[in-house]
Amino acid sequence: MGNLENKKVVGNLGDERMPFDYSTREYGTVPPDDRDPFRWVSEVAYKNVHRIVARGYDTTELVEQGYGLVDILFVNLQSRIPLIEEDQMLNYVMIMSLEDGLSLPAAISRIVAQSKTFLTQACGASILAFGHAYGAYSAFGNMLIDYLARVEKEGKTLAGVAELLVQEHLDDEALGVSGLMIKDPAAKRMFARAEKLGVAGKYIAFTKEIVKAAQKINKESVDLDMLGATGATMMDLGFTPEATWAIIAVTRSFAAGAHYIEEVERGSYARLGQSLTPKEDYDGPADRPVPPLAERDKNAEPAQTHTIEEWKKAFEERKKTYGSGYSIVEEIEDPSQKTGIKKVGR
Amino acid sequence: MNREPLFRRKTAISYKTEEKTVMRGYDLSEMAEEGYSFSDALFVLFQSRIPTQNEEKMLKYEMGAFLEHSMSPSAAGAIGVINGRPNLPAAVAASVMTFGGVHGPGAAHGYMMNKYIERARVEGKSLDEMAKILVDEYMDAQKPVMGMGQPQHRDSDPRAEPIHIKQEELGLNGVYLEFQRAVEKYFHARRKKEGKSHVGVNVVGAGNAALCDLGFAPNAAWCLGSVCRGYSCAAHALYHMKKGRAWGASKNEPMVQMIDLSMIKYIGPEDREVPSQEERQEYARKQKEEGEYKKWVI
Repeated sequence: MGNLENKKVVGNLGDERMPFDYSTREYGTVPPDDRDPFRWVSEVAYKNVHRIVARGYDTTELVEQGYGLVDILFVNLQSRIPLIEEDQMLNYVMIMSLEDGLSLPAAISRIVAQSKTFLTQACGASILAFGHAYGAYSAFGNMLIDYLARVEKEGKTLAGVAELLVQEHLDDEALGVSGLMIKDPAAKRMFARAEKLGVAGKYIAFTKEIVKAAQKINKESVDLDMLGATGATMMDLGFTPEATWAIIAVTRSFAAGAHYIEEVERGSYARLGQSLTPKEDYDGPADRPVPPLAERDKNAEPAQTHTIEEWKKAFEERKKTYGSGYSIVEEIEDPSQKTGIKKVGR
Repeated sequence: MNREPLFRRKTAISYKTEEKTVMRGYDLSEMAEEGYSFSDALFVLFQSRIPTQNEEKMLKYEMGAFLEHSMSPSAAGAIGVINGRPNLPAAVAASVMTFGGVHGPGAAHGYMMNKYIERARVEGKSLDEMAKILVDEYMDAQKPVMGMGQPQHRDSDPRAEPIHIKQEELGLNGVYLEFQRAVEKYFHARRKKEGKSHVGVNVVGAGNAALCDLGFAPNAAWCLGSVCRGYSCAAHALYHMKKGRAWGASKNEPMVQMIDLSMIKYIGPEDREVPSQEERQEYARKQKEEGEYKKWVI
């Protein structure tokens, strides 16, 4: 360590309002304490030189016994071997989740591909498309859990709670009911298949009530959509909302990989500065001269407000500037307990 | 609701209308109703064809074997990211993005095989002869032979040889397996001759040979391997998210945490005073002239 005994006071760090004497604060790294040393604690899996073991099952022995990826999702996320019907149902759900045309994940993957990256960057980026609107499985699932709890707690009927849920979430992208699947039977077929396989449970039953309630309230034609069908089916298969979120996002990522490949095969790479943004798409301030730096004080407007009224006025004014962030309200919480229920966005 | 295309592209992969989603000509819902598996769908996605039953079995086996690998860069990445408690997809995405040049480099191994198999064709050599050339070229250049060795499974990757055997059992062995087996033979022989320890085939060598024989191009094969790891990394991230402590530095845990301050070992320049702005120009000039800083440039 360098000799810093006669260090000068730097900037404001010697200010008497400082709660400590900054100049005498210690340098140097922290020595280990007497607790157990760090280890990667896991209840999901371990490996040694010879084996890989997930939830107690050797994974090579699992595949030798004929279990596959879909079965192992149950092992990893639920610590159990699924029934054959459950395995069939998850296969069905994953096929339906694999491809969705040029929707967000594929579009992101293709955009990343244009920059000449690894395929895995594009696949990873596609997973980031899953939020609380597109592929909102955690928001949807946690909403079902919360409202189903009210059936028991408040002694309400399933239909009654479904109506309440719809009233409170009518415009929510995570409702699971929309006008998206009016002409496409795929969502309803998924529920029918779950019922046929005997794996439908309380989440599918509740979602059906939500559909009925939404159809009663909505002026426009609405029906079960893929979010609602997939989310409820996955939860009846025993997956948590978060596990569902991850499984479906990763499943979609395989197809995002194909879109990456096609983009590279059929397209061309993009260079920095290449893409233009037409002026007709611009609706910000009109072109204006850059004021001389010497006249900064004359032109600059300070942001500080000094009363609550001034603050409110400035706040509302700033909302008019798109891209400033003033129109967005977020309540960012620790998602360990619940994901998707907090307010994110407008 | 605006249902205009988000992104316009000519694509041979899929289309989606209000009535259906069609991938490579097949209505997805019809495929699922018919009882095809997810593995079948992946053949349709990447190869535009329905696989044979044994091909489907092989992919199911491989992806089952790939899915979980406990603590690898991918799981560590997912756990590191989830410690800040972002939305879960951020951690899963990070795990998939750890797959690069050395962690599951499936595409690179595939391209290597394609290059040398093509050379065998052009130079009129057998796969066996070309495998020896590959091993010699890589080892002469002191480059690791892709598909061989795993830093944790030092006495052979538990997934690798069973994948080879399964591929043979299912009658799916083609040029890639033949070539990979030959690479392994010459690799082992050369290491033995040089008095080096045995280094087994890894899951990239075995798994990728099988995926290539199943008709997947190198990048498609890489996609299958690396993306399916995302599932298990989601489980690792979820475990930490739901049952672990955020940040990974708490002093209240009985075990030292991942980024506890004591985990930091610093080996950089000595502690030094920050020069004032008045001293700055002279200080910086001297620092540049002395050049000591160059040894720290990364």
